[in-house]
Parts: sequence; C-alpha cells; structure tokens
Amino acid sequence: MIQRIYSDIRLYLASAWYSYRALYAWQTIGPYMSGKVVFPIAQMLFFLYLGKLAGVQDPLYIVIGNILLLPATNGVAGVSMTISGEREFRTLPYLIASPAPRGPLFLGRSLVHIIDGLLSTIAALILGVLFFHIDLSHSNLALTALCILLLSATSCGLGMLLGSLSLRTREAWTITTMVSILLYILSGVNFPISALPRFLQSISYCLPLTRGIQAARLAMTGADWSTISQLFTGELLIGLIYMAAGYLLFIWFEKLSLVDGQIEAM
Amino acid sequence: MNVQFRMRTLSLFSFGLVVTQPVIFSAVGYFLARTAGRTHIDFIHTIIGSGVMGLWSTLLFTSFFDLRADRREGTLELLVGSPTSIFSILAIRAFANVLLGSTSFLLSMIVAMSVFDFSIPSGNLPYFFVSLAILLFGFWCVGIFLAHFPVVSRLSGLFVNYLELPIGLITGFMFPVSLLPIWAQWLSRLIPISWGFNGLSTSFQTDINMPALWTYWLTTLGISLVYLIGTFYMSKKLQNMIRVTGELSSI
Repeated sequence: MIQRIYSDIRLYLASAWYSYRALYAWQTIGPYMSGKVVFPIAQMLFFLYLGKLAGVQDPLYIVIGNILLLPATNGVAGVSMTISGEREFRTLPYLIASPAPRGPLFLGRSLVHIIDGLLSTIAALILGVLFFHIDLSHSNLALTALCILLLSATSCGLGMLLGSLSLRTREAWTITTMVSILLYILSGVNFPISALPRFLQSISYCLPLTRGIQAARLAMTGADWSTISQLFTGELLIGLIYMAAGYLLFIWFEKLSLVDGQIEAM
Repeated sequence: MNVQFRMRTLSLFSFGLVVTQPVIFSAVGYFLARTAGRTHIDFIHTIIGSGVMGLWSTLLFTSFFDLRADRREGTLELLVGSPTSIFSILAIRAFANVLLGSTSFLLSMIVAMSVFDFSIPSGNLPYFFVSLAILLFGFWCVGIFLAHFPVVSRLSGLFVNYLELPIGLITGFMFPVSLLPIWAQWLSRLIPISWGFNGLSTSFQTDINMPALWTYWLTTLGISLVYLIGTFYMSKKLQNMIRVTGELSSI
C-alpha cells in the first residue's frame, strides 16, 4: 500500500516535471513575463472600457473579476491542452498503452498550471494595485490567497473534463476555448450573477469558479472565514465533482477508444 | 483558396470563433448595460462591433494557426520551396479567412436587425457596402502582414493571444476610441481597420457626414496599401533569409 502511494506520488511529480519541461523550460523570461503583463492588462482594460460604455459605476468590480479569472484560464485551458497536446504530438497512444495509473499521470500535468495560474494572479494583482488602484489594505490576504489557490485547483477539474474529450474528438481544444469564453458571462467576472436570467444563474452555480470568485471578492474586502466558508466549501465540492467526473470520463473514453479503435480518429 | 475555404468551413474551431465569440462579447456588453440600469445598448459597438471583433479574432487565429499547422505537419518546407511565392500563398489564405470571418459580421447584422430592430437607412446602402468592402480590404492587408510572422519563428505563436484583445482595444470596435487615453488614440490611427470601422459606423448614420466618410475610406485604403506594399517587400526578404540561413524550422 505504502509502496503504491509512493509510486503514485513519484509519477505525479515526474508528470509535473515533464509538463514543466515541455511547456516552460524552453521559454525565455522576456516572452514569459510579457505574457504575464500584456494579456492581463489587455483583458482588464477591454472589459473595463466595455463597462465604461455601458455606464458601470464600479469599474474595480470588473478589474478584480478578470484578475480572479486568470488562474481559471490557466487551469481550464492548460489542463485541457495538455491532454489534447498528447494527441497532437502523437504521444497519447504510448500513454494509453502504458500501465501507469491515469490519475497521477494526468493530474500531475495540472500542477504546473496551478503554479503558473498563481503566478499570473500575483502579477495581475500587482498590476491592478499599480494601475487601477485596487485597495488591498483591508483585505484578508491569507484567505484571498487561499481562494486563489482553490480557484486554480477547481478550474483544473473543468480542464480535465474538457481535455478528456480529446480521446474522442480532435476539436476538444475548440470546445475548451468556447467554454473559456463563456466564463466571461457565467462566472460573475464582469457583473454579478444576479444580472443573468434565472436559467443562466442555475448553470452558473453548477460551474466551478462562481462560488470561488465570490469568496475571493469577499476575502478581498476583509471578510473572515465564517463569512466565506459556505462559498469556499461549495467551490471545493464542485471542483472535486468536476475532477472526479473528468477522471471517470477519461477512463470511459479510453475504454471506448480501445474497443472501437478510434483513439487517433476524428 | 477553395481548399482553404473548405478547411475553414469544416472546422469546428473556425465555427466557434465565428459564432461564439461575438455572441459572448455582445452578451457581456448587454449584461453590463443591464447592471448599470440602462434599458438601451449602443448597437454599433455592442452588436456590430462584436461581429467585427469576431472577424478580427478569426483572421488573427486562423492566420497564425495555419502556418503553425504547416510547420507541425511538415508542409511549411514544401510551401517555402515551391515556385509560388509565400506572399501569394498567404494572401490567398488571408482572403479566405477574411471571407469566413465576415460571416461573423453578417451574423451580428442579422441579430441587430432581427432582435433589436436595427436598420440601415435605405439611401445609405451604397455607402454601407463600400465601407464594408474597404474594411474587409483593410483586414486582408493586416492578415497577410500578420501571417508572415509564424514563418520566421515558432515563438510568434505565443503572441497570438496577446494581440487579440490589445488590438481589439485600440481599434475601438466595441467602444469608442475617444474613451481611450490620447496616446492610445494615436496608436489606433496607425491601424487601417480602426479607420475602416469608423467608416462603417458613419455609413449607419441617418445624416452622413460625407467629408468624414471620404476621409475614413481614403485613410483606410492608404494605410492598408502601406501595409500591403511593406509586407510584399518583407516577404521577399524573409523568403531569401530563411533559404540562406536555413532557419526555417530551427526556432
């Protein structure tokens, strides 16, 4: 049993290391940092000006929301791309053929995205303080950090679910992109969920991120654990459900693909 | 072009870009207006602008990803080695991508007209079609220019995501450029599609300011031609450079 746990942890870390080597080790600091600066600033400004045109009174709501969406962008797109990338580079059949347990193998690949998501958010928060005058003096920084870590992790569940589609279709990346864009509406990033029609609100609360973003917003205004605990645990639960669903879907699609020989098909 | 267009129309990725993104951006604008307590939205920027934004995204991503796919599939070497210039190949691809992206604009017009009762004054139709043609020409020139970067470097793919929103921001598709700081307004003037969009917006007005419209048309055409001619010479130099240095697949 201990040997099995040790073996899984080793595989998880090795998988994370290979993922880091493949995605980031070849990059130089310049392009990497420019990505951490240009994209968040552009995203914040874009929606901020949309808000200005619409007459929104609280532009910081939009700025903070877009900062909190950054770890999710990493988690959803990064993890999904990891699985579809294996297919694109023709290494997926080797992974499928190997006896390695799928959980640590693919979840390990999400570790770098969680860390990168955290770095993105820290960079964006610094930019937010410098350029948009976000006031963090009353924030509960420890809880805010915890919420951001949670957002990074729960978004990986959605990424895992979407990435599993790579086993059955080459267009999984497209579906991931579409879902990622939908989060601009459904996760309460740019406006409160209450502005949505009721059926969209229901969808919104079935997604990871919605509660996590609300909890992080509260923590940034200085709320303590008792205020956000319900949202936090709700987010954690949804994240775990998505993670489990992604894993089960992957296993199911893997079996289907082996049975009908569709692993490299359209 | 036939092959390119078929590849694009059969791709879910292209479909997603063309349809989903404008709808989402329009919806964000709509819900933001609702949050602010407004009952009316700015049609030009929220609906039509999102269609043009969709066109921009389609052109940007397809232009970059076409070349990336060529590099990965090993057909880039064949393209560069063929007697047809890389400029001609990319120009044809960009044209097909602009045509596909323009369906995004078409959809936004259909939504504006059918859902929001938006209409173009009948006397304005010729101005509208000329403005649209000039805008699409601007997009085509920018598309050819951008499509050359992935030929030089694999790293250029990294910048695709960073270009989409900044250019969308300073071209003022989804909000007036006048909201931006002065320096950003000056940057906006260097981009032909920004002028082209101003021309298109002007063609929707009931009392068209003709001198302004002519200025927008001629400036769009002028800057687009500068891009086109510049890209033509850059393309020749680039083709020679990658053959001489042998760096086509190295970076």
